[in-house]
Amino acid sequence: MTSRGTPSRFLKSVLQNGVGRYVCQLKRISLVFSKNAQSSLGARHFIEEGVVDFAKKNPGTVVYISPEPCRIPRIVAEYLNGTVREEAITSKTSQQISELVTKMANQSGLDIIRIRKPYHTDSPSIQGQWHPFTNRPPADGFIRPPGKETSS
Amino acid sequence: MVFLTFPCLIRNRGPDRYWRIQEVLKNARHFRGRKNRCFSLAVRAVRRAFVYATKGRQLKKRNMRTLWISRIAAGSHEHGMRYPVLMNNLVKSSVQLNRKVLSDLAISEPRTFQSLAKLARVRQEEGFRAALGDGSEPAGVLSRVVLLQ
Repeated sequence: MTSRGTPSRFLKSVLQNGVGRYVCQLKRISLVFSKNAQSSLGARHFIEEGVVDFAKKNPGTVVYISPEPCRIPRIVAEYLNGTVREEAITSKTSQQISELVTKMANQSGLDIIRIRKPYHTDSPSIQGQWHPFTNRPPADGFIRPPGKETSS
Repeated sequence: MVFLTFPCLIRNRGPDRYWRIQEVLKNARHFRGRKNRCFSLAVRAVRRAFVYATKGRQLKKRNMRTLWISRIAAGSHEHGMRYPVLMNNLVKSSVQLNRKVLSDLAISEPRTFQSLAKLARVRQEEGFRAALGDGSEPAGVLSRVVLLQ
């Protein structure tokens, strides 16, 4: 768990998302669950109660429900930049699943790794970045080596 | 399990050795030499790496602070002041900017830093006048806190 051994990135938004209109970055969310298994009970409750409200609240996201015989129920979220995130929802309650799903809808598809700085700016300097001539007054006339007037 | 003959008493060591080793080797993949491939060497190298990472968290804070201080000192020398004078007078003028922000200003906002240096110089001279002068009311008062009525 060293900083060089684990990946890290800088803070950014996907194509400056909030500056103009906000586009929800979650493209597709698929709920894979089993019709009869014990572990998918929460998933089935969520489908009965909460999934339609979630789909109405996020009109830009497509919700797929696939009941199939599976050992662990999963939520597969695909984002606009191609990232695919899978989360297992075994033995979670409907409330927990709806919280998880709203959390995924609020995320952008960028990797969840260490962020190097909690701030980012495209214009770090307003007055102009310092360079060696910022605080030097401009020379009057030709530039001569110092002390030449006294020797002559 | 019941072992009926001696050869069957050879212990079953468990199925997970590969994954236990990979857990350690994945932290060593960016090392140099055999330490990134061979488990016995990698274990020692990974442990040292983690120890250095732990110690480095304290060192990073110290090093960043010395870097900020040296940058502020360089900036203030350009304006004819020294670092302790600048910081002391900024504190006395209740400018509560920390060293990180001051070093960022010195780099990306040089005019703001110049005005802060001038403020510190004025406050220093006012302090000298108050200490060495004759106790009369000074002409332009900068550092006295005015309570609004």
